[in-house]
Amino acid sequence: MKMLSVIKWTVFLQAIIFIAGCNKIFDIKPETQLDVTNAYQNVYDADAAVVGIYGKFMGLADRYIILNELRGDLLQYTDNADENLKQISTHSVSETNPYASPRPFYELIINCNDVLKHLKIMYAEKRINEQEFNQRYSDIGALRTFVYLQLGIHYGQVPYITSALENVDQAKEAALFPKLPFAILLDSLINFTAALPYKDIYPVGSNLNITVDGYPTEKFYVNKKVVLGDLYLWKGNYQKAAEWYRQVMEQATIGVQGETYYSQYKLGWAGGHNHYVTYSRAGDASTLVYNDGWRIIFEQPYGSNSLNREWVWVLPFDNKFKPENSLIKLFSPVNGSYLLKPSNEAIDKWNNETQRPAQGNSIPYDARGLFSWKEIGGKPVVMKFLYNYLNYSTNLPLNPLVKNGKWYLFRQTHLHMRYSEAANRAGKHRLAWGLLNSGLAGAYPSPGSDVTNYHNTLSESFPYNFDARNSGNTGVPFYRSDWYRNIGIRLRANVTDIVVPAADSLNTIENALIQEGALENAFEGTRWPDLLRVALRRNEPSFIADKIYSKALKDGVPNAAGIRARLMDPNNWYLPFKW
Amino acid sequence: MRNRSLLFVFTVSCLLFGFFACKKATTDHNAVKESVLANNVFDLITATPELSSFRGLLMLSGYDRVLSSSKNFTVFAPTNKELENLDTAIIKNPLKLTLFVGNHISQQLYYSNSLSTPGRIQMMNGKYNNVASGKIEDAAITKADLYASNGVLHIVDRKVTALDNCWEYISNSINAPVKQRAYMLSLFQKVFDTSHAVIVGIDPNTGDPIYQAGTDSVFTNLFWNKVHDLRDEKKQYTIFLLQDAAWDAEVNKYKPFFATSNTDSTTKAASWAVVKDLSIEGSFPLTSIQDTVLSKFGTKVPVEKLSIVNTIKTSNGIVYIMGKVDVQPKHKFLETLVQAENYTASSVDRRGNTYFRDRFNTATSKDFRDVLVLGHGVALFNLRYQLPEMPTLKYKAYWVALNDFQTATFTQKLGIGAAASTTFGYTTVALNNYNEVYIGEFTLTQYQPQFNIYLTAANSTTAAVNPLVCDYIRLVPVL
Repeated sequence: MKMLSVIKWTVFLQAIIFIAGCNKIFDIKPETQLDVTNAYQNVYDADAAVVGIYGKFMGLADRYIILNELRGDLLQYTDNADENLKQISTHSVSETNPYASPRPFYELIINCNDVLKHLKIMYAEKRINEQEFNQRYSDIGALRTFVYLQLGIHYGQVPYITSALENVDQAKEAALFPKLPFAILLDSLINFTAALPYKDIYPVGSNLNITVDGYPTEKFYVNKKVVLGDLYLWKGNYQKAAEWYRQVMEQATIGVQGETYYSQYKLGWAGGHNHYVTYSRAGDASTLVYNDGWRIIFEQPYGSNSLNREWVWVLPFDNKFKPENSLIKLFSPVNGSYLLKPSNEAIDKWNNETQRPAQGNSIPYDARGLFSWKEIGGKPVVMKFLYNYLNYSTNLPLNPLVKNGKWYLFRQTHLHMRYSEAANRAGKHRLAWGLLNSGLAGAYPSPGSDVTNYHNTLSESFPYNFDARNSGNTGVPFYRSDWYRNIGIRLRANVTDIVVPAADSLNTIENALIQEGALENAFEGTRWPDLLRVALRRNEPSFIADKIYSKALKDGVPNAAGIRARLMDPNNWYLPFKW
Repeated sequence: MRNRSLLFVFTVSCLLFGFFACKKATTDHNAVKESVLANNVFDLITATPELSSFRGLLMLSGYDRVLSSSKNFTVFAPTNKELENLDTAIIKNPLKLTLFVGNHISQQLYYSNSLSTPGRIQMMNGKYNNVASGKIEDAAITKADLYASNGVLHIVDRKVTALDNCWEYISNSINAPVKQRAYMLSLFQKVFDTSHAVIVGIDPNTGDPIYQAGTDSVFTNLFWNKVHDLRDEKKQYTIFLLQDAAWDAEVNKYKPFFATSNTDSTTKAASWAVVKDLSIEGSFPLTSIQDTVLSKFGTKVPVEKLSIVNTIKTSNGIVYIMGKVDVQPKHKFLETLVQAENYTASSVDRRGNTYFRDRFNTATSKDFRDVLVLGHGVALFNLRYQLPEMPTLKYKAYWVALNDFQTATFTQKLGIGAAASTTFGYTTVALNNYNEVYIGEFTLTQYQPQFNIYLTAANSTTAAVNPLVCDYIRLVPVL
């Protein structure tokens, strides 16, 4: 018995020591992993959080293209595509379709919420100063708004979650987070985003606007003013939308008047980087310039004038860092899966344009088509996202294993067309027509050499007051105004102006803007939203249904009429919301 | 203590149990359960008494060692009874034997379920055999899917003879018609080909490589290169061989279209014109061949079944011996469409004044590309087009020329044989005319292996007077 009691006591004591010790054993901080309580110490941690969010955002690139373009009328699935992609294209999406799951969006949103929460804590605890807080908080806030706008576009009614949750599954609590209709969601987003304290880009030289791994980071971040412009455009507040877009158009109107001053975001010509569609000898179709001009919009490196003046928002894929380039898999028949191709409808759109006459009549197609897609091995291939991977003339990879590329999100043509869309709706038809066609000077031409009262809209108030006066070298008085180089989207692409009947400027110009979106910005991830916005605004289901019907018909997709019938009901414009 | 020893015994027993259990588990996992997989295909044939003759042939040809190796094979083995009356010539000739035995072995795995749909499978002798609904050529599979470690064995009820291919038939068979065969064999010539050449030096004057004698060319047949390579086992062809009388009749029929300065050249050219349409790609057996087939060159070749004298199956298609094949000249001599932008040469380099224009034709509603040479400043500037093998015929000439680049009309002409030819005068190019314009007709009195036509500008250096513009030139034989 004595022996037994000794054992008993020993066991008992050991148990006590063990339990008491537990607390300490499990409380040791991991040495190689960063614990959440230590993650936000100073401004560098805040920067890391911002960059981390954008890293995660890049994982949505393929989904962004698939939802925004494959649902539209310009992109089609190939024989390699699976049932899920076919469903997206034919608007018959089942609840189990992984591309239709909102979960990846909400994972990013939850992360954004977490960062926003901690930024507030850091600011309250004075670990970052007010300016640092404002810049980062506004950036992540605007990105979250951008993602919510995407959700609203594709799902119609979505829960609006702004609190930091541990994981996405908590967001499924329907009672806590009711689904908001799109219109209400837009109001919430406008209220939140308009109140963000900082709306410019990160200042040059600040931690987040420097050069990292050879990439200037200025264009990595969402443009808050564009997001605001978009929100107001969707909402139908055209004055406000135009105001925000105009501010972005004027971003370079500062400092010394140089090439960037006149051309960045102004669609102005510039020495060496004019992004024209040109022929080295006008009229000789075989001399189309490939190695300069419009095509290199999709090839030029970060930091180049070409990229800086054209692009507002573009993120890099580089084999040196994650995530991998998901767009090569989508589009490339060389070392990719070639899942998506241009639709015949898109190809026809380019073929139905006429260029400006040279050596007689016109070339009967839009050369932007030749740059946007080409045949490789007999297959039509979307090239816009591949020019950093495949050589444009040989179609061979520059380096098969280095799958570099860019995720192109927003550029000056998007900006000008959305501004024009707002201006057109606000009654400024000629202004919208000018920006779309041959530029401001083309829309307000001068009969003589004195341009004082021409080439401008200065009689209008902001944001419709442009000054594009150019007196030429001999004109008196002499003018070289801020917008004098603006040439218009269709003149830059060498296609003829849209003719507007006097009877209906509004709809003709709006239709032309949407049509131009297909010619200029095809496959860049804005097609379906453009169609949806106009269809909602006009309450005209056939605007969408006819276009998707035409795509299905021309590509030989079975039951095109059924697709049209489905899309005539606006309830079918949205994906099933299934976590 | 008793407790402790009990515990010890328990622990040790547990360990031992675990150990033995493990051993059993591993051996089970790796054991060969299927006894037939211990044998290779050759073992399997050896163990099958009804295949002893085939086994003997395998040993004789050396294929026994191949079938014992660790690749994957499919063997279609004929039974002893079928091999009883095998030609002794095959057994005595090692080459023929290898060919024959190899025709029963494939280096791919084909189970019977994959032999039910029609297809062609490659055999070890390089030839292909047709398979369909459980048969390989005429031999039906009587016992299927006997599998072994390195392949699968099917027992078939017939031997599968290795046939000649189409070219071997033409060159070897005594039954092939003499004249056509002689002509086809006469098409052998040496062709310059450096792919296997040995460079022995560099010419100090020209810098060109010097090749070792005999290595810089290949001895090849024109028919293989220009029509079909009838030796290719991978493809299938249908060949028509004309009996001598029919051959002569057909060649004589075409001689008038190939007038030259001597009869030999005329015969050769006419023979080529006849023979090039007598081969089509694809195997068309008697049951499925149409009464007209289209040759590689677009010629309609009539096939009258009554004229088929003999049908010979080859390893890569079918040879028909014909009593008559009456190809009409209007089917053989098709129109020539010359795309004007694809010119062979220009009289003066004026690429800087040459525009390849893309336009929409309002008459045909189709896009087209044309050529415009404007402001070249050369009197009688011309573009040359080289046309191959133009027969002795009368032709009608047309063009499409779009004058949309100036408000004045101008003239240009078609030069036949020479830029300054007077066959045609200058033709006015009207404004904005998208339609075809008839130029006139001309006759070639001699067969022209290579013939030049020219698009010639006005005899002026004035830009508005001397442009050249053309979409295409069309030459239609008058027959």
